Amino acid sequence: MKIKSVSTGVWTVVAIAVAVVWAFPVYWMFNSSFLPNAVLQSTTPTFLPFGGSFDNFKNVFADGKFVAALGISLTVTLTTVAVALFVAFLGALAISRFKFKGRKSFILAMLLIQMLPAEGMFIAQYKMMSSVGLLNNVLGLTLLYTAAVIPFTIWMLRGFVAGVPAELEEAGMVDGLSRTQAFMRITFPLLAPGLVASGVYAFLQAWNEFTVALVVMTEDQMKTLPLWLRGFVQASATRETDWGLVMAASMMVAVPVIIFFMIVQSKMSSGLVGGAVKG
Amino acid sequence: MPSHAPAPPAQQPPQVESASTATPPPVVKKRKSKAPIFLIAPTLIILIAALGYPVGWQIVTSFQKFGLKQQFGAPPEFVGFDNYTALLTDPNFWVILGRSLLFCLLAAGITVLIGFLFAILMKRVGTVARLILQVSMLLAWAMPVVAAMTVWVWLVDWRRGVLNWLLTRFGFDAEGHNWLAEPLTFFAIALIIVVWMSVPFVALSIYAGLTQISEEVLEAAAMDGATGIQRIRYIVMPLIAPVLSIVLLLQLIWDLRVFTQIKLLQDAGGVANETNLLGTYIYQMGVGSGDFGAASAVSILMLIITIAISWYYVRSLMKEEN
Amino acid sequence: MKKYLGLAALTTAAALSLTACGGSGAPAASSAPTSTGSASASTPAGNADKTLTLWLAGGDTPDALRTYLKDTFKSKTGATLKIEEQAWPDLVTKMTTALPDANNTPDVVEMGNTQSPTFTNIGAFTDLSDMFEELGGAKLIPSFVEAGSVDGKKFTLPYYAGSRYMFQRADVWKEAGVETPKTLDEFNTAVKTITEKNPRDIKNFSGFFLGGQDWRNGISWIFANGGELAKKDGDQWVSTLSDPNTLKGLAQLQDLYKTASKAPADAKDATPWLYINDADQILDEAGKPTGKTSLAAATIMAPGWAHFSIGDLAKDAKTGKDVREWNDKKFSTLVLPGNDGKPAPVLAGGSNIGISAKSQNQDLAKDLMRIIFSSEYQDLLGKNGLGPANSDNNASLGNDEFAKAAIASASNSKLTPAAPGWAAVESSMKLEEFFGKIRDAADLEALAKEYDAKITPQLNLK
Repeated sequence: MKIKSVSTGVWTVVAIAVAVVWAFPVYWMFNSSFLPNAVLQSTTPTFLPFGGSFDNFKNVFADGKFVAALGISLTVTLTTVAVALFVAFLGALAISRFKFKGRKSFILAMLLIQMLPAEGMFIAQYKMMSSVGLLNNVLGLTLLYTAAVIPFTIWMLRGFVAGVPAELEEAGMVDGLSRTQAFMRITFPLLAPGLVASGVYAFLQAWNEFTVALVVMTEDQMKTLPLWLRGFVQASATRETDWGLVMAASMMVAVPVIIFFMIVQSKMSSGLVGGAVKG
Repeated sequence: MPSHAPAPPAQQPPQVESASTATPPPVVKKRKSKAPIFLIAPTLIILIAALGYPVGWQIVTSFQKFGLKQQFGAPPEFVGFDNYTALLTDPNFWVILGRSLLFCLLAAGITVLIGFLFAILMKRVGTVARLILQVSMLLAWAMPVVAAMTVWVWLVDWRRGVLNWLLTRFGFDAEGHNWLAEPLTFFAIALIIVVWMSVPFVALSIYAGLTQISEEVLEAAAMDGATGIQRIRYIVMPLIAPVLSIVLLLQLIWDLRVFTQIKLLQDAGGVANETNLLGTYIYQMGVGSGDFGAASAVSILMLIITIAISWYYVRSLMKEEN
Repeated sequence: MKKYLGLAALTTAAALSLTACGGSGAPAASSAPTSTGSASASTPAGNADKTLTLWLAGGDTPDALRTYLKDTFKSKTGATLKIEEQAWPDLVTKMTTALPDANNTPDVVEMGNTQSPTFTNIGAFTDLSDMFEELGGAKLIPSFVEAGSVDGKKFTLPYYAGSRYMFQRADVWKEAGVETPKTLDEFNTAVKTITEKNPRDIKNFSGFFLGGQDWRNGISWIFANGGELAKKDGDQWVSTLSDPNTLKGLAQLQDLYKTASKAPADAKDATPWLYINDADQILDEAGKPTGKTSLAAATIMAPGWAHFSIGDLAKDAKTGKDVREWNDKKFSTLVLPGNDGKPAPVLAGGSNIGISAKSQNQDLAKDLMRIIFSSEYQDLLGKNGLGPANSDNNASLGNDEFAKAAIASASNSKLTPAAPGWAAVESSMKLEEFFGKIRDAADLEALAKEYDAKITPQLNLK
């Protein structure tokens, strides 16, 4: 027992060391975003933001484009998450609860679509969006993103759907609930963690994507956050990269994701505390 | 989508993995009904609407002579398999293919290995240390790719980078060393970044799998005198093999098509033509050089190669579906 | 309507006088009346709901000029001008997708002068031959006009130009005791000597900082020795890196890379000024600079507008942002001398501008071209350090040392080959790759031949 606690101590140190190393780039962004460029240009790095200020953030907001880009990114991302989850849930329901002709091909197709290289499709995606008038359109981008995340979401969700025994639902119906009621009251709560997990995936994909957005969102006021950030970095690099400013801008893109994670984490925990999902 | 690091979070229940386990397939209703058709219809509609034309265009274009002239309205000419034969006889293509495969295998292998070790570590340590580690993983995972790349490019910068500063501190002659100039170190940096971004997903997924292994079994094994390594080898590994194989497959697929990280690193430095992987190669050939026929052919070849690599896994997966 | 126009003119004048604070007030005074005058004469009421889209590449066009364009366009045509800035690295992608698309094409597009031939050759732009004389004709920079022409037809015209010249650390040159060079050979020797002497004992110090992949500046040594990148042989373009004259220049470059420049082999032409600015000079007790400084080079080569990025760090009084303030005691300019003592041929930097052939607003787009090529706008370009397209307006550059250096180096500037596939050569990064290998090449000729074989097929469009 004593030996175990000693080695646990060693492992704890290792775990914390690993955590520090892994979070370092994130910390570096955080740290630098508060420091003035003159300090950052030094050949000796400054590891703590003492004497820092919010000037960089003020300057980031000063260009006024951040809020617009945030709005577009939030709209596109949240719509993508909502639509993809709903549609993928139906698809997952189909393949885990029903046996039908083409089921295997459908599953196979969901896998293969993930293997399509996206880099060769930009031109065609542009042409398609342009011909239906969805260029520079939140709806158009959402459609492309939704299609890109659905296959994996179905794949992920079907495991969760399959994990909720249909018998539970049927038992509920025996107790006098309608099919819909049974589903809403019994199955759905059990699926919550799965939906959250898949939602996180969809959220990250849509939030991070920038090559498709670059091609189909050509107008300045329709830029998503990654495009805004990239433009910000490029504009800064043409004279002399202002790292403090660029890091502050990066922070602004990362913070919404971190907030989203925090919200979702608590929701997911409560879902698990409910204790229903235990294999 | 080219971006990395998507995935299920920590407490994801193990059912996700049941897809590939030997456990009985899900309860399947054997009734004839139109319901499944209605259920998959929205998926099909969205996928066809968004991908139908681009994929079709790509297949058709790969058989055409399609350059900038055609893009600006000249009628394209069908050239059969010319684009494919030109590619397959171009030594440069094989170099890039080999490089991409090597990069993909290394990145996926290292990611899964580190992820596995981290998961074991999370299981081994107390709650506080575990939470610290989990938060660290979540932070790295939540970093948007463009933001993360901006930070990394700066960290490895040859004049102002923390990396060189640290190395110099430890007595290496790293001052002013440019890591992106040589293809070998360029890829080493790229590998580190890709692994850094991907490990959180793998570690948290495997950890979720580990939490399903009952403590009693492990304790019983320990009582019987099994060492830590033995317990991992004979009890833990078989139980989480399904999770491992799924994350490995996903990493292989994602790492073979890695694009954003390489593109942004190339923008920061390095010799583009010596640091191309398949993704950036397609991009450079298509949008960069205006040879869309050849770019489409590479895309199709890449798809075929991905299928070939994952064929074994896909087949076993499909067998379970029976 | 009248009232509104008056207002528009007033805002124009206000915007201009605001921006002119830094320089002289001349443009505000001269342009406001003209725009009001022509506005009342030629405003077609039907344009009010029309919008014209102009793509500007990168941030080189200052905000004041953008405002001028928008306001003047509004008052002259009644239509709205929408300016969208495209990042240089994405420009070819954007042009490739948007220009063929009649519904979404920008109407007027700025592009790098070296990117122009590829797009003009495939008919992406409207033929402007009929208005060429009106826009300046022979007064427009000939090499740029050439880059935008196909078979004598003018498709794109020069937007602004900037020639490359040297920026020196006068103090470091002095400390090294090196005279101002008068020929190319003297220059090569001078920067070598400075590197050897390294008067401030800086680690990795470059007498002349030239990025390994920086072919746009390195090319001057090829030109100065009579070499070319490519020639037209019959109706086919051929890469000429292994021609004897080109090789002579390459050998000199190799020597510079080995003995005078410590720039990394993969450095491109972006932001060389970082290396001659002092960013964080650290002084010891005696007030002497220690080795820790960002200063790492005594000389760089860059387009003229780089001078805004060179100097001592200062705070802009109005915006509070960090700016660079030129300091005569520390910095000076030098036009690269050729073998004959006259300015060496350098690669002209700058942009061309053209009207998308698919644009649905051809007439309005032409109106915008008239505004851009008007004397007022050309002068505004010059006042902001951008070489005007029209040589009549060169005086607007002023007569400070930057203007003199710019005009001297421009007198012998050249452009990249007008081959139809040139943009493909550039975007495939072959030249960056080739230049990056020069320093360590054991056999320059073999290397040059290898790249000739790679580049020649790209020069001629398939």
